[in-house]
Amino acid sequence: MTSLFIFAPFFLLVIINFPLGFLKGRCAFCLAASLLLAQVLLAAFHPWLFWSAYPDCLRQFFGFPLAVDNLALIMLFVIGIVALVSLLTAQDTLAGEKQKFNFINLLLVALIGMNATVLVTDIFSLYVFIEVTAMASFILIALEKGKFAIEGAFKYLMLSAIASVFMLTSVAFLLLTAGDISFAAVHHVLTNVPGSFFLKLAVGLFLCGLLIKSGVVPFHGWLPDAYSAAPSCVSVLLAGTVTKISGVYILLRLFSSVFTLTPALQNVLLFAGAISIVFAALAALTQDDFKRMLAYSSISQVGYIILALGCGTPLAFVGAVFHFFNHAIFKTLLFVNAASLEKRFGTTDINQLEGLGEKCPVTSVTSLVAMLSTAGIPPLSGFWSKLIIVMALFSKGRFIYAGTALIASIITLAYFLSLERRIFFNKGKPAPAAGGTATQISRGLNPAKNFSGIACAEILLAVFTIAGGLGYAFMLNTWFLPLKAIWH
Amino acid sequence: MNKEQALFLLVFLPLIGAAILPLIDRASVKLRNLTAFTLVFASFLLSAFILPTVIGGREINIILNLPLGFNFILTADILAVFMAMVSSFISAIIILYSFEYISHYENQREYYFMVVLFLGAMMGLVFAANLILLYVFWEITAITSWRLIGFFREKQHVLRADKAFLVTVFGALVMLLGFIKLHSETGSFDLAAIKAAVKAHSISNLAIGLILTGILAKSATLPLHTWLPDAGVAPSPVTALLHAAVLVKIGVYVFARLFIATMPLGALWHAIFPVIIGLSALVSAGAALVETDLKRIIAYSTVSQIAFIFLGFSMGNEIGIAGGLLYILMHGLGKAGLFLCAGIIEQRTKTKDITQMGGLIHVMPVTAISFLFCAFSVMAIPPFGGFFSKYMVIAGTLQAGHLAIAGIFLFGALLTLMYLFRTFNMIFLGEMNKVPVSGSSPLMVFCVALFAFLSLAGGCFIQYPNRIVAAAVQQMTAKPL
Repeated sequence: MTSLFIFAPFFLLVIINFPLGFLKGRCAFCLAASLLLAQVLLAAFHPWLFWSAYPDCLRQFFGFPLAVDNLALIMLFVIGIVALVSLLTAQDTLAGEKQKFNFINLLLVALIGMNATVLVTDIFSLYVFIEVTAMASFILIALEKGKFAIEGAFKYLMLSAIASVFMLTSVAFLLLTAGDISFAAVHHVLTNVPGSFFLKLAVGLFLCGLLIKSGVVPFHGWLPDAYSAAPSCVSVLLAGTVTKISGVYILLRLFSSVFTLTPALQNVLLFAGAISIVFAALAALTQDDFKRMLAYSSISQVGYIILALGCGTPLAFVGAVFHFFNHAIFKTLLFVNAASLEKRFGTTDINQLEGLGEKCPVTSVTSLVAMLSTAGIPPLSGFWSKLIIVMALFSKGRFIYAGTALIASIITLAYFLSLERRIFFNKGKPAPAAGGTATQISRGLNPAKNFSGIACAEILLAVFTIAGGLGYAFMLNTWFLPLKAIWH
Repeated sequence: MNKEQALFLLVFLPLIGAAILPLIDRASVKLRNLTAFTLVFASFLLSAFILPTVIGGREINIILNLPLGFNFILTADILAVFMAMVSSFISAIIILYSFEYISHYENQREYYFMVVLFLGAMMGLVFAANLILLYVFWEITAITSWRLIGFFREKQHVLRADKAFLVTVFGALVMLLGFIKLHSETGSFDLAAIKAAVKAHSISNLAIGLILTGILAKSATLPLHTWLPDAGVAPSPVTALLHAAVLVKIGVYVFARLFIATMPLGALWHAIFPVIIGLSALVSAGAALVETDLKRIIAYSTVSQIAFIFLGFSMGNEIGIAGGLLYILMHGLGKAGLFLCAGIIEQRTKTKDITQMGGLIHVMPVTAISFLFCAFSVMAIPPFGGFFSKYMVIAGTLQAGHLAIAGIFLFGALLTLMYLFRTFNMIFLGEMNKVPVSGSSPLMVFCVALFAFLSLAGGCFIQYPNRIVAAAVQQMTAKPL
């Protein structure tokens, strides 16, 4: 059953590429959307036991086993939601049928890669599917072939290549010393032969690769360029899932059940997390572009997840996954907001946008919800995950880190307030009599359609953010607290 | 309807009702206004409804245990019900006033949504008996306050709204750290459990200091007070509601809830705290004496008066605590009245600068008399309500043996007298500089007259509120600390 998550997108990819005209346009979109919706629903409403109960008849096609647990289901859910939103955004923002069709194809490839990354149980297959995802995303970033887009894609490609070298070397070392690369075998060897130099080196190299992939400070250079140069619908996908799954998720997976978290590694993770939080938040304060600010904010929020991982307790792990989930939702929402502004006003430069609170009520309100959630203001969902992380750090005696994590929220709030103040929460200048960009901005290039895909996506995600915050107890009980069992 | 349902409704009626207001707005503006008023007034009626039960000594509890100690617990004791009644009553009159005041401006939909949501969050905060729940409501009030200060959307206004939001959220985050420290020391976020744990071992000064930072930021006390005068750019009903009558009292209330009713303040902070608030009282009174912007004067006056409430609470004897509680009521009535008067004056003269006013008593006599009455109450002239509360606070200080501090605060009271008379003098007496625009709404004048009347009546019939307050004090202090 599990392999359905990989095969279904693959078959869809094959089907829509049959040389039949009617499959290309609207039909491809509908098929892809229903597939993603199905993934969301299946992941949300079926416990992991359901997936493991039946023998996997398709499994024999693969040379490697797949497994589903709660963590994987949460990830599948997130992937489904974000990909769906990205698809909706693409329908509204990309120009031309061909472009849209290319996007759907690449999205499906990325989906195969990400779903498989979540489900595999050995380190080599993990590496392979990270690369599948990465390949799709390089092309996606450069989809519109602009100068900056190519530059962004190239930077991402270069750093990913370095990360790949690190990870592949690490896999080789593990294979040499452990003799097997399944998660269980590696874990067994790591716990029983703690002193081996090669093993330590392998873990260190893999960690470096993943930190580059996650865009943690000081490996963050590529991330703002890639996010802001990509088409908006692609930034949605990148920020919400691609870089998170192929970097942060794997960190979570490996350090929860494969690698052992030694005190030295803990310190590295804690330090990297705290530096990312503070540095990226300060950098975000100075940005003048909506998407660049969001990119820095993304680095800062990933810092929280890394920090929680470094804390190394089951509660902190729960907080990390919860924050991962929340971050995927609210950061995706913010990128959709950016897409909506870019579509209507042709720019994401904050200085050129003002007084839009009245003109785009949906974007204005939903972005406010997402921003407050990012800053960890209750009762929105971001507050609860931050609170759990801080509590976990505190109970472990990491007072300085706990204080830093909490007080850094004020910087997050500060840059989002400045964004909100400049774009939405002010009176726009009265439009000049004729011509000029100001008129374009104040009128809007493209008047908003009612119930466009973007607006639907915005409302959907905002509802998730608010409901997740109010129903935190339900979320914790059903999804996140059971994760404690996964931790070692 | 049983009492638990009443308690639940009085918190959630405004919270959920707020979300419905924007929908009603589309149907009819009048209906929306009335619904907003009804929601808030219903909270007042429901708190009055449960008052007899809690006075009878029974606590009303709604308990829902949730994971990780983030329990949902509402507890109604006398202190909470008293606070709820005061806030919802003053809010209801302020909403009545804004029917007319706000009708001239845009964004009314957001205004009513935020005001009613604020009141709901306030009710939640008052009854919350779990620190995390309290924090949630605390921040909701901060969000609403931020949107309301920036109501006019002017660049300067929004900047100041952001400032107020950042300062209070910073305080709140520090306070949250204090809560988490408290949790690590006592093992619970529930007030009842903390109270039980405190008996066994004392709380570290660090935790108390962190929590106090949040309280001082919210109640605009030195050195975190500057956001309050700046927030005067908000519409007058908002300044009255948030920055005089209700929002700044949150800090004071939580102080009473935590450091009187739950745990002791500790020797160190007992020594430092009066010094902070003494400075706060004097510095802000001095600032009020030299300001020329009407709303900034009243705002500085609030900062100064808040210090008196803190003084009463921090003395730890019954008369001081009772004085502090009465002060919340009397200051709320008087200061709300002053801000609403300022709103009328501002709308008619189109300025907030008192040096450009004068002689207004001839054109707006009722407003002038109301202003004077409310000012008398804040100045503590007998027989106005403010006199009794200030007297009891000072008496409490003397009883605790803090002669020097009592002296400082008496000087602060003297300054209050000076700056309020100066303000009244410059606005209403003397030559008329500028002829105001004619016509203020009878509804708005009625509201300020009502506050003036209540300030006087509160003093003449002090025994009635005093009965509730005395019972509250007994309940708070009777249980061993």
